[in-house]
Parts: sequence; structure tokens; C-alpha cells
Amino acid sequence: MAGPVLQMRDIVKTFPGVRALDGASISVSEGEIHGLVGENGAGKSTVIKVLAGVYGADSGSVTLDGQPLTAITPANVHDAGIRFIHQDLHLVPHFTVTESVFMGQEVAGRFGLSKRQMRNMAERFFREVLDIEIGCGRLIRDLTTAERKLVQIARALIDDKARLVVFDEPTAPLAIGEIEKVFAAIRRLKAQGIAMIYVSHYLSEITEICDRVTVFRNGKDVAVFDKISDDSAEDIIKAMVGRELGQLYPNRTHAAGEPLLSVRGLSDGNRFFDVDLTLRRGEILGIAGLIGSGREELVDTLYGLRKAKSGTIELADLPLKLSKPADAVGKGVVLVPRDRRGDGLVLAMNVMENINLASLEEVSKLGWEMRGAARKRAEKLIGDLDIRPTNPDAIGQTLSGGNQQKVVLGRWLAIDARVFILDEPTAGVDVGAKVEIYQLIEDLAAKGAGIVVSSSDPGELIGLCDRILVMMRGRINHEIGTQGLSIDQLVAMTTGAADFSTAGGTARSAHAG
Amino acid sequence: MADSVAGSEQATGTRWTLPVRYGFLVLIAAFVVFFATMNPVFLHGGNLMNIVEGSAILLIVALGMTLIVSTGGIDLSVGIALDFGAAFAVVAMKEFGVDWYTAALIGIAGGSLVGLLNAGLVVGLKVSPFLATLGTFFIGSSVQRIFTNGGGPISHRRMPQEYRDLAVGDIFGIPTEVVIAGVICLIYFVVLERSIIGRRVHALGMQRSAANVAGLKVNRYLIACFIVASMTCAVGGLIASANIRMFTPLSGFAYLLDAIAAVFIGAALHPRGRPNVPGTLVAVLFLSVVTNGLNLMGLNFNTKDALSGIILVSVLALAVAQRKLR
Repeated sequence: MAGPVLQMRDIVKTFPGVRALDGASISVSEGEIHGLVGENGAGKSTVIKVLAGVYGADSGSVTLDGQPLTAITPANVHDAGIRFIHQDLHLVPHFTVTESVFMGQEVAGRFGLSKRQMRNMAERFFREVLDIEIGCGRLIRDLTTAERKLVQIARALIDDKARLVVFDEPTAPLAIGEIEKVFAAIRRLKAQGIAMIYVSHYLSEITEICDRVTVFRNGKDVAVFDKISDDSAEDIIKAMVGRELGQLYPNRTHAAGEPLLSVRGLSDGNRFFDVDLTLRRGEILGIAGLIGSGREELVDTLYGLRKAKSGTIELADLPLKLSKPADAVGKGVVLVPRDRRGDGLVLAMNVMENINLASLEEVSKLGWEMRGAARKRAEKLIGDLDIRPTNPDAIGQTLSGGNQQKVVLGRWLAIDARVFILDEPTAGVDVGAKVEIYQLIEDLAAKGAGIVVSSSDPGELIGLCDRILVMMRGRINHEIGTQGLSIDQLVAMTTGAADFSTAGGTARSAHAG
Repeated sequence: MADSVAGSEQATGTRWTLPVRYGFLVLIAAFVVFFATMNPVFLHGGNLMNIVEGSAILLIVALGMTLIVSTGGIDLSVGIALDFGAAFAVVAMKEFGVDWYTAALIGIAGGSLVGLLNAGLVVGLKVSPFLATLGTFFIGSSVQRIFTNGGGPISHRRMPQEYRDLAVGDIFGIPTEVVIAGVICLIYFVVLERSIIGRRVHALGMQRSAANVAGLKVNRYLIACFIVASMTCAVGGLIASANIRMFTPLSGFAYLLDAIAAVFIGAALHPRGRPNVPGTLVAVLFLSVVTNGLNLMGLNFNTKDALSGIILVSVLALAVAQRKLR
């Protein structure tokens, strides 16, 4: 093989008070899928942003095909054939699929924009490269998250000039079925000799798709793995955290008690139908299901974000009427939402404000906010949950994913909630914080709270829950205990494969080994 | 090592940030010095009181605007609420001979109709605040013209002295309108900046969906804010009508743009860019200083708007620069 396509050497980047990159290097060869892993704050995103021309590096060198890149600006980098599939979608909601794919790179015909040609190109790309029928005339706002991700990939690759593609958590919002499609697309690009950097928290994905892996810790590359097998995950984790990681999932000490939340015949008339479920005190109940299975809509309805058409919800034998989230919160039913940055935290508020937001009465007298009490309570929860930084004045936006999640959890711990609905509780959270969040969930259950975990990570559901409800096409298809359940079996149920044969789909798991 | 890096960064940060952060105060000082040199009368006690008195109604309207901007919206109908306040009070006294305080309450209630309509449009029909209040503005303007047969003022010469005193009287030597504006300002400060109500209003203004998921009664707060803001503006209308002993249709419009400017200048002065009561107060006084100074210099009234525009834009640019430096 020829020399590396991309070589970044000894990159240093400092921000006020932080040395984000401290001599980091990474090297990617042609036709190679190169994994980039590290805990949040290890410098993965910073190094990507340096490559993208978003940040200027303080020192260090970047070469592409052996030629040093001197002026790294977003335009130059794009011209050189480096493409980025960002974690955030950056798509205009009321554009069509075709318009989105060609935004900024429109194809002109003799009479101005050639809409038909663009549409044909887009359709061909989706069919041949991504192997999906998406409907190029549909509007972005009508697409599922997974479909939007594919549009984003199409947009970066449609001009056929990509030399190096950087994927930043491409599968974070996706369900299992769609992940395979993204992987298939990535493998085709690899066959065409395109070099790729693949950033992800999902180690099982890293070990499945990557040829080599660079591990970042504290702004430096601490290890490079040249041979990747399924057994590499453990070594990678060791390199990431710089210590032996204990068990990923906590020991079970909780025990289910009397029924707490019971749902009968719940339907929204559109996305889910006739859902029955019973959650007991001290129980962790999992909900599995692909994107579009009705799982998200069910969770939203249990919290009053959507309206039910029929069916009943009872909390401790009393009917629970939900027309808005405040109704649920008032009864001690709380939600940790899947869209942490949109629905979870008020990003511009600081940790103290966010933690106290749902329980302001308790830190006030006659409506006057007692700032001392508010700060004291925030400091206590910051300590209990080990939130970093420990400063209650830190702005929500600046926190890492795991810490933001802890702040949202902390808000609900402050009100002594009875039922916790956790939607994708560890999406985009690094391994270290995951272990802590799992332990928190276990502790809550052990104290007698009822917990619903809705997740697209089957390993997490099996490792954490007592029972799992599997949703497909808006209905609960299976209800199973997790004792002895394997990831393959669960995946087979969520994809519907179990209903026809015993074959499983692709396992996706945060499991270390 | 990390600490030393942080230290040096902080030092350079401070060196550049200080002049920018206090740039606005420097600007005010520069204007004051300039006006004082141009015309020594500017600094006389009587003139300074003029400035404060002249700020009262704008401050009241700008406070209502601060509340709405804090909810993440904007209110283009503050002038209508002001007009309705004046109209209802004056008509109640003139046609129905009610007491001055009943008239004041009727005026405030009349103003609240504007907020009620806004709330219905924004919360009930999910129209964006900008368009909803624009609609209210058009409707309210038209209603006034119809009611006054094309916009003629309704004067009430034999207005009760107590009502008249809202504008021209004084309490312990302080002009009544200044006292009223001051009290409203204090209430707004306590509620918006120091109470849990204010905390919630700011939260829902910054990120509505997150506030909703956090269990805040978002719609209830929005409705209340629109109504309270319009009632506040109606108080401004009472003072305006007491001052000239008449209701002049569509006169509230004059305050709209200055109020918006004041709120956003005030927000730019906040370290985290939030609309806030002290910021609004400072900005209103500043705009009044400029108006007054220019008047003393005998400059054309038109110059004032140009200057206000330049000041608004430079303060906002200053705020952006400041945030970049942080």
C-alpha cells in the first residue's frame, strides 16, 4: 500500500483554561476505515475540527497524500476531497431530499438548475450506494432520523470527489436495521479506495467495521491498534480510560414490588396500538424496538408529550390524566428525554439552574428564590452524581454528553420522582459515564422507584433490565425476562426475524467484550 | 502546567475584555461629557429631572417588552395596549363620569384585552409572537380609527385633578410618573430577576421544549406574560393621557421601536445576553439622554433616530465582540 492518505502530527490546540490537544497524531491509509475513539473530552472532536478548518491548531502538521496542507480552511479542505458527516444533521426541514443533497453543489443544465438531472442522480445514489428507496421528492421534516442521516451521507459523497470521509458518530440516532445500511455504504466506499475516519462511542461498531483504531486520551494518541477483532474491545477500553474498567453493568440488588404504573389498551391511533404494560416498584422495565416501531411515541405519550386516543394509564391504582408533561411531573412521573440537547437541558442555563428547574418551590420562600439554598442543593447533587466540572455555574452547553445526562437525572432526583422514564439514557455518552449512569439507575430501582428504559442498545437493555417489551409496527410483540437472553435473540425479536426463524441480525452493543 | 496555560489565557482575556465590557459605560460617559460641553444646561438638576421624567413612559413600555422578549417572543402591539389604556380610561371618565381610580382600573383592563388577544393567538392558535402581535397591531390600530372616526383625539378638559396628577403631580417632590415607573420597575426586577417565576420565564424563553419537558406549565406562563405586559403598557397610557388631558389615537406606536431597542441593548449588556430589567433601565435612560442632549443642541429631531440606530447597532456589535473574547 502507498503512503498514508492523511497524516496529522503532533497537533496542539489550547482553549482558555484547557489544553484540548496536546501533541495528537493520527494517520489514515487508502481504503482504510480508521476508528477514532476516546472518552468525551479526550480531544476527538477537536482534532476533527482542526482537520475541518473550524479551529486553527497552535502547532503540528497535516499532510494529505504526502503534501502538507498549509492553509486549512473549510473551503480548501473540501476542495482537497475531505468530507465530514457530522453528528448534527444541518439539514433544512422544508427542503426536499434532492434539494438537500445538492444544496451548495447544484447541477446546472442549459436552462439553469437541472432539477430532473439532480433528482435522477440522487435517486441513483440512494439506490446503488445506500441501497434504500427514500423518495427524493419528500421533505426533510417528514423523514425519520435514520433517513436524514442517509441524506447527509449522500450530500457529502454525491460529487464522487471524496478522498477522505470523516464519520462523527454516524449511527448514534439510528436503530439496528439502519445501521447495517450505513455500514454497507461505508464498506462500498472502502472498496473504492476512500479513506475513512470513524468516530464512535459504540465499540462493537468500531470492532466490527474498522481496520485500525487510534485511541485518544487527554488530548493525545495513546495507542494504535493495527489488528482489530471482536476481542479488541477490552484492550481499547483499557487504553481509553487508562485503567481497568470494572463490570459495565451493576450488580442487581433491586427487587420488584407491587405494581406502580399500569397501562391498558393505550393507542395513539397512529403510531402505536393496544399497548399493555405494568411497571412495578423497584423494577427496571426495558422497551426495545427499531426506529418507527412506535417506541418513541409510546414513551412520549406516557409523559404527556403526545395525546393518547384510547386506553388508560394508572399510577398506584389512581387514574393518571396526562395532557402535558407538567401533569406527569406533578405525580412523580419523570422523563429523561432522548434529545438531551433539545428537550433535556436548557443549554444556556447553568448547572444550578438546570438542576433546580423542576423544583424551584423548594428553594424559594413566597416565590423569592433563595439562591444560597439553590446552590447548596445543586452542589449536593453535583457531588452525589459526580458531575464534572463541579462548578454549579458551568453553562449546560459546555458540559460533555454524560455530564449533561447526569444534570437531567439530578433535576429529577431533586423532586423524589416515583417513575423514571429514561429514553436512550446513554446515547452519545462515553464508557466511563455510562457505567456511572447504569449504577445510578440500579440505585434508584433499589430504592423502590419504577424505571422504564427505552433504548436502541440491546446490550444495555439486557444488562440493566428485568423484563423487556419488544415493539414492532406499533405493537408489543414480545415480553421476555432478561435472564439468559442473548443479544442475538433480542435483536432477532426487534427486527421481526424471530417471528419467522431463529436467525439474528447484527448485534449492536456497548458490551466491553 | 495546565494551570499556567489557563492563567496566561485568562490574563490576555481580561486585558481585552474589560474595555469591551465597559465600553457601553464609556459610551454613555462620552455622550454626557459631549452634551455637557456643548450646552452646560445639560447637567443642571432641572434638566436631569427632565430626562428622568421623559423616560417614565418609555421605561414602562420597555419593561412590558422585556417580559415578552424574555419568553422568547416579541410584542409589536405594546403601543396598542398603551392606546387602549388611555382610551378606556378617558372615555370612562368623560362619558360615564367614573372616579379617577375606577377609570385607571378600566384603562388597565382595556389594555389587557390586547394581551388576551395575543395570548389567544400565540398559545391557542400557535401563531408566532411576531406575526400574532403584528396582527393585533393592525386590528388595534383600525379599531382606534373606527372608534374615533378617523383618528381624531378625544379630549377631556375637566379631567379629575387626581387623574391629572398621575402625570403632573408629585409625591414627596418626586414626579408621580417617575414614582409609578420606579415602582413598576422594582416589581419587574423582583419578579423577573429574583423570583422563581422569572427563572421559569427565562427557561421557557431560552428553550421552550426543554422547559416543557421539565414540567413547567409553559402555556399558562405565556398567557400570563402577554396579559401582564399589556396591562403594564396600559399604565403608560394612563400617564400619557393624563399629561395632555386627552386620548390621542395611535400615539403608542412612537414607543414601540425605542422599547425594542432598549430591551436588546439591555440584553447585550447582560453577561449572558439575557433580556433583563436593570439592562432595560440603563438603556432607556441612555436613549433619553441622547434625545435630550440633541434637543438642547437644537438638532433636528430626525437626527435622534439615526443616532439611536447607530448606538443600537454598535452596542450589539460590542456585545458580540465581547462574547467572542470570552
